[in-house]
Order: sequence, then structure tokens, then C-alpha cells
Amino acid sequence: MKFFRGRRVLTASVLCVCALGQALAGTIDPRPTPADWAALAKLPDWSGTWVPNITDQSRRIKADPTPWNAAAARQIKAMEAEEDAGRPRGLFVNCLPEGMPSWMLISHNALEILFSPGRVTLLGESDGNRLRRIYTDGRGHAADPDPSFHGDSIGHWEGTTLVVDTVGVLPQSFIAVSESVGVPNNGDLHVIEHLYLAGPDTLHDDLEIIAPHVLSRPWKTTRIYYRQRAKKYEILEGVCLQGSFTDGKDKDGNAIFVPVPQIDGNPKPQ
Amino acid sequence: MRRNKSFWVLFFKKELLFSLVALAAAGPRAQAHHSFAMYDPSVTIHLDGTVKEFQWTNPHALLWVVGVTSPGADPALWTIELPTSPGNLSRLGWTKHSLSPGDRVVVELNPLRDGQHGGSFRKMTFVATGQVLLVNLRDQSKTEAAK
Repeated sequence: MKFFRGRRVLTASVLCVCALGQALAGTIDPRPTPADWAALAKLPDWSGTWVPNITDQSRRIKADPTPWNAAAARQIKAMEAEEDAGRPRGLFVNCLPEGMPSWMLISHNALEILFSPGRVTLLGESDGNRLRRIYTDGRGHAADPDPSFHGDSIGHWEGTTLVVDTVGVLPQSFIAVSESVGVPNNGDLHVIEHLYLAGPDTLHDDLEIIAPHVLSRPWKTTRIYYRQRAKKYEILEGVCLQGSFTDGKDKDGNAIFVPVPQIDGNPKPQ
Repeated sequence: MRRNKSFWVLFFKKELLFSLVALAAAGPRAQAHHSFAMYDPSVTIHLDGTVKEFQWTNPHALLWVVGVTSPGADPALWTIELPTSPGNLSRLGWTKHSLSPGDRVVVELNPLRDGQHGGSFRKMTFVATGQVLLVNLRDQSKTEAAK
């Protein structure tokens, strides 16, 4: 007994030292406890594949018009005129991620939402690396986050609503209303979202987009997703750049991707 | 085994030729998710022809058909862009085997505004069976029963 009691004391001491070490080293991903895992079962069920309501996306572009500032409005008007004239400027022809907030605003592709202790993860189809990590473990924003396409996202639950605050988005990331109309946020972007089930299989994302360099005031709008559970809706890999290559062989007979010349991101008739 | 220089020159030439042939056969690809405004939605034409290749690749699948848009015209190779990805097409009932080289088809498309032989896919009918393939993403905007 004495031996085991001694081992318990030793184990506790080691754990304490490790915890202290983690704290001192800035560790913010502690090992989840059984209670942490059990707590996930109390969250609303957001499983399945969520497909954007594209009809509603189009409707809301007119119903909740983007409050562009004067300079951005001039650019938007010119882009719309170019599109109407058959000379669209594809914003994403380089296959870089749509990023925040455009992914949520204009995507035609499905996403899935994963819960794990202290974190919600959004995984999207397309872009090759479309994901958002939303930390719900009580941490604050990073003091000086490296700008990224999807930004630094902190979340918390208010009942069954996930509230997400996002900063640290690359200034080049677009605020887009279609795949060919939009402007870069140009820095200091702040996005606040409320995600919640509006029906058994309907998810709403109420967005407030604050972009002081291109919007005259915060833009509030909503995007709607439908839940699908059928097999055919499972998320597939979607690597955007794959379409810029064709199948070929190298001199050793290996299967390789061969770059194909592109003209403004569109297939060129032969 | 050592090979003499002429063997490797010939080998490389053969592989290079094969790659170039494969490249030419595959044709150009769609790139990123882009606007379709270069196609004229006010004009719909019917292309009667034979599938050369069906490319099941992100971000937009592509179809090449050799055919005519008016009776008696010389057949031409048309590059037809589908409006979405294999993921979304799967949900609408398509697969990578939906079309095969040699299939006789009539494709309804919105042509390029500049008159080149390209267009945006609207609808397709197999001549042999009358089967119709469509792409309407908005059909996904309702929850289906899990199967």
C-alpha cells in the first residue's frame, strides 16, 4: 500500500510539474478530460453535410445590399458593367482560397462542422485547403496573429448559438458578392457571426461584417445552409488547382500532372 | 544494364511525344470558380455530335464534343464547361462515367460571346436512349431523406 500511495504522490507531482511546465511554455491545448468529451454531447447536433442555399444567396445580395463606401462602390459598378459586357474578372481564378468572409457569403460548395473539446472546425469542399478553426476554449484572440485567409477565430456558445469573432484576415481577402464582383477588404476586417439551427435541418449564419476601408458601415446579412445526410452529399476532396493540370507521363513512365496553359482561368476553345 | 546514348534519346523522344499527345487530347481545362458572363445566356444553341472527352476535375467539369450546330456544317470541336464541381455534380446524380468518348449526344449550351467554339452547359440528351442530364444546383436547396 505504501508503495502504491507513494506512486500516487509521485504521479500527482509529475502531473503538477507537467501542468506548470505547460502553463509556463504557453501550452493552450491541454489534454481533454472525460468531462470535456461528455460536454460535447450537450451541444446541438450539427452533424451531416451543410449545403448553401444558393437561391437565398442571390436574393440577399439585393435584399441586404452591401454598404460599400464611395471608392469601393465605383469599383463594384465597373466590375458589374464588365460582367454585363461579357468581360468578367474572376476574383478567384488563381485558386487561392475564397477566405473570410467570401467563403460564407458566395460559396456554392458544401461544408461540414466538427466539434471537439475547445474547438469547432469548419471543413469545406473546394479550394483544396478550405477550413476554419474556431477556438471555444475561452482563449482570447492572438495578440498579433499572422494574417491568414480565414483569420483568427474565437467562439463561444450562447445557449445553442455559436458566436464567432474573427480578426487577423489578410487584407487581400475579398468581400465578394459573386465570383466576379467584390473588392479586397484592405485590412482591419472584423467579422461577427451567430450560427444556430433555425429549423431541424436548417443552419443560419447571421454575419456582421466590419470593414472600415471598403464599407461605409457594418454590413449585416444572413446565409442559410440545408442539412443533408444522404450518401451522395458526403464531402469530396476538391483541389482547385487540379483543373490547371492534365494527366501525363514523365520519361520514366511515372504518372504526373502536366501544366496546361490557361487564359484568364477559362477553358480556351481549340 | 547500360544503355547507349541513342536508346535514351529515342526513349525520351517517345515519352515526350506521348505526353504531348496526351496533353493535346485532354485540351484546356477550366480553372478556378469563375464567372460565366463570357457566355451569352440570351442565346441557346444545340450541338449535335460525339463526345471526345469528359473531364471529371475540380473546380468545374469539362466536356469536349465534336459536332455541328446546324445541319450540313463542318463538324468542329467544342469545349463545354459545366457550371460546377464533381462534388456538386455527384449530388445531382452525375458520375465520372456519365459520359464516355463516342457517346452520341445533343448538348444545349450558351455559347461564348466571341463566337469561338465554346459554351456553358445547360442540358444534354443521349441520342441512343433519350436520357437527359441536367445541372441545377438549386435542386439541393432542400433536405433529402438519408439513403
